[in-house]
Amino acid sequence: MSAVFEDGLSLFAVRRMMEGVVPPSLATASADRVPNVSYLSLAEYVDPLHVALSYQFFNRSRENVLATKRASLTLDDPYTGAGVVLQLEYERTDTEGPVFERLRAKLMGVASHVGMDKVFHLRGADIYRVLEMRRVPGRKELPATQPRVDLPTNSRLLSERMANCGDLADLLDTLLCGLGELLRIDFAMLWLFDASQAALTLLASRGYEVDGAGAEISVGEGIVGTAVREGVPIRVGHMMNMATYARAALESVDALGPASPAKAAIALPWLKEPRSQLAVPLRARGRVLGALLVESKHDQFFGYDDEDALMMLCGQFAVAMSLMQPAEPEAVAAPPKSAQPAQSGSALRLRRFTRDNSIFLDDQYLIRGVAGAILWKLVGEFLRSGRREFSNRELRLAPELRLPDVQDNLEVRLLLLQRRLAEQNAAIQLEKAGRGRMRLVMSRPIDLHCENS
Amino acid sequence: MALTPDMVKMLAAGVAHQVAGCTSGGRPVVCRGMAAQLEPDGRLVVVISSESGFEVIAAVRETRNVALNMTLPENYQSMSLLGSDAEVSFAGSAFRELVTARHAAFREQLNAYGFPPEYTGAWYTATDDQLMAIRFTPTSARNQTPGPGAGSALALKTS
Repeated sequence: MSAVFEDGLSLFAVRRMMEGVVPPSLATASADRVPNVSYLSLAEYVDPLHVALSYQFFNRSRENVLATKRASLTLDDPYTGAGVVLQLEYERTDTEGPVFERLRAKLMGVASHVGMDKVFHLRGADIYRVLEMRRVPGRKELPATQPRVDLPTNSRLLSERMANCGDLADLLDTLLCGLGELLRIDFAMLWLFDASQAALTLLASRGYEVDGAGAEISVGEGIVGTAVREGVPIRVGHMMNMATYARAALESVDALGPASPAKAAIALPWLKEPRSQLAVPLRARGRVLGALLVESKHDQFFGYDDEDALMMLCGQFAVAMSLMQPAEPEAVAAPPKSAQPAQSGSALRLRRFTRDNSIFLDDQYLIRGVAGAILWKLVGEFLRSGRREFSNRELRLAPELRLPDVQDNLEVRLLLLQRRLAEQNAAIQLEKAGRGRMRLVMSRPIDLHCENS
Repeated sequence: MALTPDMVKMLAAGVAHQVAGCTSGGRPVVCRGMAAQLEPDGRLVVVISSESGFEVIAAVRETRNVALNMTLPENYQSMSLLGSDAEVSFAGSAFRELVTARHAAFREQLNAYGFPPEYTGAWYTATDDQLMAIRFTPTSARNQTPGPGAGSALALKTS
């Protein structure tokens, strides 16, 4: 069968009609020709000849489809008002695999918006073969909106800039600045997946009133947490009910037990009323390392083309991040113990909670997880030996840090720690001391306290 | 059987209409409707375009079965009304005022979702010559609001 249908239409060309901005409708009929029509949560492009429809409830539509295998689907373009009608033949129901996972992730995104995430449960992805597709005649289509930028060209420019970055900090800043400058995306957050804590940690953000570095959310929380859990992009292009969303998120937190210190202490840099969101996983070497979340104050701001472009850029970022292992340190004549800057004032109380390596400076939460363990080790070593400079390599090999594997990038944790310390203007700072080396800079005496909890 | 007062009220609330039929060969067909109202004799009339609804018109003429889905965008409330005695006739300018009123209410609903006023204009283009009426006696109603109750029967009023 040809993948080009009546009027020269292809499924690929109409995939933006499946975004769910205008819900698709599904018509079916019983074996005795009694019709039924209802709205669907989601339709998903599978390949040039197949679509997947969400199966959530055993209802009349499904009863009819199982009896007759036939259905008719209508899709509407959310920008131009154009429409298409498809004749479908039911083939099978997937309950696992990439199509199912994509649909489930998108459903979670949609459901959280309407406060139905506890009710909406994807039982399966119904796979249909498209027998026919035609335009709905008689529509007075609106002109297609002009793209806000030349996405392919500007994505390529950004990709080239990223390819020239020599370290992770540069790569991160290049990506976030480039999103604004070249793709006109004003609000972005880059989240890291910390498998050991089953949480996402905010590495950096751009465009918000607060930076929020070090803030945490749970895996599966919101569209960014869902994108990480499922490893697929999620896009929401219409008005967001933030109150409902926040309630759903809070319920999710409640279900996970007491809030972590990071949740309690670091404000999330959310937009108050986002109208569009797109979460794109950072995938490399078969794993999800984090996610990029971009937001807009405008409805339907992100399209499939944005999703495609950001998937490529995030893939490049993720591969670069996983390859940017700490460089071999420059040769140093002797471990420097001197050049200690003056420390004055009362002692800074550095507390570590062993349960999750969370670190507090006096009573202020700083960070937890691997980054917390790193700081504890560095300061402890300094107090024991007076040594202030450390090589990244010795940290990578330190058994007490329990870095899960080579892909849990030490460079990323160091960058996050460095930024958190700088953001708090803490009495401890971490600075570069040459290739593959870092230096502790402390302006107050330190008291260490380890608390088992 | 007749519509309940709540169902009658919903007709004018700014709902989206989907009209479905099935050919004698078992082919399900669907198109958007533009307006629906209760007739004095208790039947329901739904107005569609002969241009976009040509398949539905042919199927309804063939089997006389019809399903009308109405969904209110502001709260996703959705229900279907079914009939098995449907008749198709020319509606023409006599239904223009109704179509205009229903379009305005629907446009208002979508406006809250960020759709510009001209968006629904893309769907309401039928000329008077293209307005067709499908009249039927509702024999059953189904709840189609998203959730576990979707598809369950709704009670109709005994006429």
